[in-house]
Amino acid sequence: MADLHLLAVEIMVAVFGLGLLVLGLLVPRSDRRGIGYVTAAGLAGIMVITFAMRELSGVFMGGYIIDPFSNYFKLAFLVAALLTVFCSFDYIEKMGFNQGEYYALLVFATLGMMLLASSGELISLYLGLELMTITFCILAGFHLRDPKSGEAGVKYILLGAMSSAILLYGLSLVYGATGTVVIAEIGQVAAASGSTPALTLGMIFLLAGFAFKIAAVPFHMWSPDVYEGAPTPVTAYLSVASKAAAFAALIRVFFGALAELHSIWVQLFIALAVLTIILGNLVAIPQSNIKRLMAYSSISQAGYLLLGIVSYSVLGIGAVMYYCLIYVFGNMCVFMAVTAFYNNAGSDEIRDYTGLSRRSPLLAAAILFAMLSLAGIPPMAGFVAKLYLFMSVISQGYIWLALIAVLMSMVSVYYYLMVAKSMYLGAVPEGSKPLQISPGLKVAILASLLILFVLGIYPDDLTNFAMNSAVTFFMP
Amino acid sequence: MQDYGIVLIFLLGGAATAIGALFVNWLVRPKRPAVGDKLEAYECGLPTEGPTWVQFKVSYFLYALVFLLFDVEAIFLFPWAVRFQALGLFAFVEMIIFIVILVIGLWYAWKEGALKWL
Repeated sequence: MADLHLLAVEIMVAVFGLGLLVLGLLVPRSDRRGIGYVTAAGLAGIMVITFAMRELSGVFMGGYIIDPFSNYFKLAFLVAALLTVFCSFDYIEKMGFNQGEYYALLVFATLGMMLLASSGELISLYLGLELMTITFCILAGFHLRDPKSGEAGVKYILLGAMSSAILLYGLSLVYGATGTVVIAEIGQVAAASGSTPALTLGMIFLLAGFAFKIAAVPFHMWSPDVYEGAPTPVTAYLSVASKAAAFAALIRVFFGALAELHSIWVQLFIALAVLTIILGNLVAIPQSNIKRLMAYSSISQAGYLLLGIVSYSVLGIGAVMYYCLIYVFGNMCVFMAVTAFYNNAGSDEIRDYTGLSRRSPLLAAAILFAMLSLAGIPPMAGFVAKLYLFMSVISQGYIWLALIAVLMSMVSVYYYLMVAKSMYLGAVPEGSKPLQISPGLKVAILASLLILFVLGIYPDDLTNFAMNSAVTFFMP
Repeated sequence: MQDYGIVLIFLLGGAATAIGALFVNWLVRPKRPAVGDKLEAYECGLPTEGPTWVQFKVSYFLYALVFLLFDVEAIFLFPWAVRFQALGLFAFVEMIIFIVILVIGLWYAWKEGALKWL
């Protein structure tokens, strides 16, 4: 008999997801809007329980690790899922079909991410990854009548399958080289045998597989098209939570199993980080569609996150954890505003955002402040998050890397402020009405803005928690 | 590095076998011009009727998926049934949960009309 109480959160999420599916079957089609509210309430409840259980730690059956690190990421996923649900009410109702499945799939994707963040062995890691990827394939193509959404779904399934295959090949090579799938044991075997060519090859495949999932350059080509075509709430969730989940798994694998090879993989991650930051930020400049802009912006955010991996230190991991949560709030805030705008205006083009500050001051302020946070301007939380990441690489002596990152952050301010310029200085289009925003979405936007401010001014508690959780990776 | 040498020999040997088989076939085959039935995509059996680029019903796919689901379920059920006594109550509860999840899936497929032949 295993310690099932360790899995309490995952079991709750799984049961909840199945429950939503059943609810969708029982409720008549006309009343299905309620499912969204049930989902929000359920996720909020699970989030409170997870928060209460954040100190829980232990290992389930030798291969599933519950520790502060995974609990932190689970909370981040639940927050992102909750905000996504808030942003989905009107959007999904407009789409007008299959509401039960949508919310159930969202919950199952969350479950997959949780498995990914907690897995202490390669097979459950792969399982979590596939659960996440496959549900996202369905969600990305959820807009049945929209060919772009279909394109997004097909692109995500093809490239997701390819990246999964690459990752799986890497996993099999690592297993072949070490004879075990448990991450901690791989670390021990690798420390005893040193770096063998098979292990190095496996590591490179793993790196490529993970780089696909976090959309790092040069493995990013799927993300702008998928982000543009997918329903906006799905794009929001895909861009924040799946990236955070892939980072959690990446940290577990590279710091736990492949620590012996870190002198090799650090070089590769430096190359990825530099390419990702530069290309992501520069290509974002000419974008005219806000979802594509955010796609390239999220590519560059992945580059900043990679800096934390490059530093290979407690500070680095803590900074990645902190950044992930801030990124969740910042990106979700922008996407909630974008969804609200789309529900009213039916457009995602930046030129249609002109004069938004007069039509809806809340949305304009939300986009402005969340983008400032993403760009890393004080006093927003994004500034603290970037500060920690840059500090972590500077403390390891990569000053030039921090310099590139700071320069490119300045570039990002440019394209974020171009949106702000059009919102605040542009003319209000002829015959436009004030925007209607549902109260739930308003509350969610205000709450995430508030959190961005509060965490920017008082980051101590959260960073202490993140740093303490990160220490576990450097204990013998 | 010796071990990797063996891997290399296997790789080369595998490639050589495949290429060699094709090459020998090409060497010894009778060389006749391509006329008549030889140009058909499907050389034996009945000749095709009408255009072959027709759309298949998506229902085939749904049936196959549901069938696969229950096929795989059986793989888990049989070993459990054989060792039922030894595995005890915990495995029994686990299996019930597993079957309940599958039944929800079947119920879903049924209700959404995946089992209806249009």
